[in-house]
Amino acid sequence: MEGKVSTATPVIAVEALEKRYGEVHAVRGVSFSIWPGTCVGLLGPNGAGKTTIMRMIMALAQPTAGRLSLFGQAPSALGRTMRERVGLVPQEDNLDPDLSVRQNLEVYGRYFGRPSLELAERVPRLLEFMQLGERAGAQVMQLSGGMKRRLIIARALIADPELIILDEPTTGLDPQARVLIWRRLTDLKREGKTLLLTTHYMDEAQRLCDRIIIIDGGKVLDEGPPRDLIDRHTRAYVVEIPKPLPTGLDEAGLERNDIGDAVLYYANDPVEVTRRLPPQATYTTRLANLEDVFLRLTGHGLREGG
Amino acid sequence: MSASGDTIPVNRYSRAVWRRNATVWRKLIGPSLATNVLDPLIFLFAFGYGLGAVIDRVGGLNYLSFVVPGMMCYAAMFAASFESTVSVYARFHMQRTWDAILATPVTLTELMLGEMSWAATKGMFASCCVIAVGTIWGGIGSFWGVAAALPVLVLGAVCFACTGLVVTAHAQSWDVFSYFFTFWVTPMFMFSGTFFEVTRFPWFVQVIAWVLPMTHLIAVVRPVAAGLPVDPLATAGHLVYLAALASAAFWLARRRFSARLFG
Repeated sequence: MEGKVSTATPVIAVEALEKRYGEVHAVRGVSFSIWPGTCVGLLGPNGAGKTTIMRMIMALAQPTAGRLSLFGQAPSALGRTMRERVGLVPQEDNLDPDLSVRQNLEVYGRYFGRPSLELAERVPRLLEFMQLGERAGAQVMQLSGGMKRRLIIARALIADPELIILDEPTTGLDPQARVLIWRRLTDLKREGKTLLLTTHYMDEAQRLCDRIIIIDGGKVLDEGPPRDLIDRHTRAYVVEIPKPLPTGLDEAGLERNDIGDAVLYYANDPVEVTRRLPPQATYTTRLANLEDVFLRLTGHGLREGG
Repeated sequence: MSASGDTIPVNRYSRAVWRRNATVWRKLIGPSLATNVLDPLIFLFAFGYGLGAVIDRVGGLNYLSFVVPGMMCYAAMFAASFESTVSVYARFHMQRTWDAILATPVTLTELMLGEMSWAATKGMFASCCVIAVGTIWGGIGSFWGVAAALPVLVLGAVCFACTGLVVTAHAQSWDVFSYFFTFWVTPMFMFSGTFFEVTRFPWFVQVIAWVLPMTHLIAVVRPVAAGLPVDPLATAGHLVYLAALASAAFWLARRRFSARLFG
């Protein structure tokens, strides 16, 4: 956000957005802006409100309160024009099981009102881009989880959208499949697309996103570039010492976080911690990452939120 | 309402949905043709020989010419009802095909119009199979009459598709469709005049029969298809009933789907 040209219109602007489902207060006053050509990650545990926010952006759910604009206008006012400019990669697999891989893209292209001639040229290109060219004739049922995910991404690109919204694009995939998807998303970013993705993987967010919005319990806890968030909320290094802690450990001046079976100590130099330990003590040292930021902000791990 | 609410429906987008269903169906055209032709063949064989032997003339027609127009209506009713309930529910709820479509420029109204017109198309396909079988069997009184009855059958198929969508919009599980078939489809099969005249039933059955759209459809299609004199006022009344029921059903279904999808 900082340093961006102020005359540009944000692709998405959300202000004090709220959503209630009966008793459940899923989103409690969320504000953020997403600028053209950036990749922004909504990071939070399951149930944090990520999917609900995306559904409201897509006008698939009605906000209870707050303001939301897409390409500078309210989604409900934009209607069809807005949908033509957005590609959605939903969390669950809703590929058309009655159609082949190629047909899934052709049929989806027609929902965007695209002429057959254009689709005949575009579909093979997209299949190649997502490395599905050889499976063009296969039925969706025959695809692996990673291939299905790639096909869903190809489908979202059918009308060459400016904004691509991805709800947990790599959840449940093996490492190779994830790397391939990351590479393609990086390509899209290079083409100047705006990406909004939700994830609960730290490495994914750190790798792809220019900015990260950390969400828990329907609220924004903090936002910024990954590096800034790490600098702001934790130190450069983390020293993890398993319990029981060495007796008489001097913790004075140390930032600590009890994670149950171990304690994390944050320090700009690991020696600040390790020099206090007896010689036989076991510990591990690593660079701080977003996981630590999340832990510091919420007091609980990212994956236990469910 | 959401973005899917207030855009004027555009034919191109409904047609994209219709074409999706047609693409899937093309693979199944063989079995579909076989069942749609065999069904009326079996019926005509059984009823033609069974009842036709006992019944000489009904309503001024020989039994075959009486029963073929009824079966044209029945085929349209069954196929459109099945497609708009069981098949649409699969796409709406089980396969989440609707979720995928609603993330595109297609609006809910256009999606429903596409599904509805596809269900009506399947109804017309089934009906045309009956006409083909009826022609071979010799149950078609007047070909001009049958041609004139086709647009009425389209209205009927649309009405059955719309009423089916109401049930699908409210369905929480597959169970509701067994009630739909028991309390809606079967009565229209038995009490609406497919095989016997409605006037043969006691008055309270007749009252129920005239609530069912099938009774009105048969009342128009049979004389037209058989080339018998047509009462213009009564015919207009039946057509208005079918159109009104179809519109009300579509509106109700849309309201319920909208609440379920975007609530």
